[in-house]
Amino acid sequence: MELFLRKLFNKLKEYIVLAILLLISLILLPQNKNTEVKKIKSYAFATFALITNAASSIGDIFESSDELEEQRKINAELMLKLNRIREYALENKKLKELLGYKEETDSKLFPTTVVAKSFSNIQGNYIINAGKSDSVYKSMPVVTNDGLVGIVTDATENFSLVRTLHNTSFRISGTIQRSNIDGIIFWDGQNLVMHNIPTTTDIDKGDRVVTSVLSSILPPSIPVGLVVKKESNISGILSNVIIKPFVDVLTVRNVFVMQEIKSKQIDSLELNLLKD
Amino acid sequence: MIQQLIKSSIIVVVLIAIQLTLIPLVSIKGIIPDLIVIYVVIFSLRNGQLKGPFFGFLVGLFFDLFSGGLLGSAMFAKTLAGFIAGYFYKEDDEEDIFSNSVLFTSIIFTSALIDSFFYAFLGSAEVELNLLGLIFTNGIFPAIYTAMIGLAYSLLVRKK
Repeated sequence: MELFLRKLFNKLKEYIVLAILLLISLILLPQNKNTEVKKIKSYAFATFALITNAASSIGDIFESSDELEEQRKINAELMLKLNRIREYALENKKLKELLGYKEETDSKLFPTTVVAKSFSNIQGNYIINAGKSDSVYKSMPVVTNDGLVGIVTDATENFSLVRTLHNTSFRISGTIQRSNIDGIIFWDGQNLVMHNIPTTTDIDKGDRVVTSVLSSILPPSIPVGLVVKKESNISGILSNVIIKPFVDVLTVRNVFVMQEIKSKQIDSLELNLLKD
Repeated sequence: MIQQLIKSSIIVVVLIAIQLTLIPLVSIKGIIPDLIVIYVVIFSLRNGQLKGPFFGFLVGLFFDLFSGGLLGSAMFAKTLAGFIAGYFYKEDDEEDIFSNSVLFTSIIFTSALIDSFFYAFLGSAEVELNLLGLIFTNGIFPAIYTAMIGLAYSLLVRKK
């Protein structure tokens, strides 16, 4: 019997080893949300970012001066202001008497560079060379002068991990700016999609999509993209809205972290609720 | 043995660094070659179907940790890639495979196809993906690009 088992093992050892290794990999997959695993991953990517930071500086040979950096920053700030003005104009048209109800916040933009890209249509992540020492924290939005790039999902002392629009775990609350229709935006592996929007809603090709006031993570009015298509599902009741992002996530190199997590207004409301 | 392990680890770390920093610069429509899977294939062709998957597993672990990706996805994909490539291992005539460009490129293509497909498949558990899109965009196209790099390597080996 023992001899038979030994013979069988020798014959199938490659397959047994393969099965064990694949099983370990599959067991690890659901553990990604585990705090300890997250800590290990943070430590690993931060350590490795030191190497990639040096390697990516090779690409800097042809890159910008400080002046260009400054211009990019001004561009990004203007983009955010322009978008806010556009939104005010639409609001003004509809709700003239309610002007000024909303708190004005000036976002601080921290310029930084992408040092590593996990170049995948499914698991798009960036590592940027800004971290807690630069007051960059988890949940801060990352933008360029064109619009939203992603969200900081992990921050170490000097580096941060950014989940980009090209990540199937990416979810944000968005608004069709013209008609004020809210929905959840996610990456389906090929397109940015606003899911399950009633077919009868007023959405046209070319409508601008921005982050929603309903978002508990991102500040409102960050440009996301333009509506390119509306696809009805089989029943015809609901539609998926395909969005073309303003930012070409694949080529982006210089980005800004919006050093803003939540509105002061929301914070104060929450505090008031706690007092009661 | 230890010396080989240290050497391989250094090569892997360097390759992952290149993969995450310089390789995105040569992307075509968002598709990039996978240098790491080429190295896993080369290792497996030299060391067989037992060591190959194990090496792929470790390389995948490093990649998942260093890239901030989903832990387990690259491990699974690269283990399979190592196993497939290890099937073509010939103890007595390993260099023959490297100089046979067609065979070597085919092995790279097959391994890269399996690797990129499973990496995408496991990473997309939260959304419903179009299977055809998954096979083409995240499977065949990256595998072709990777195979082209493999072909260049094979021609270089043959020249030497």
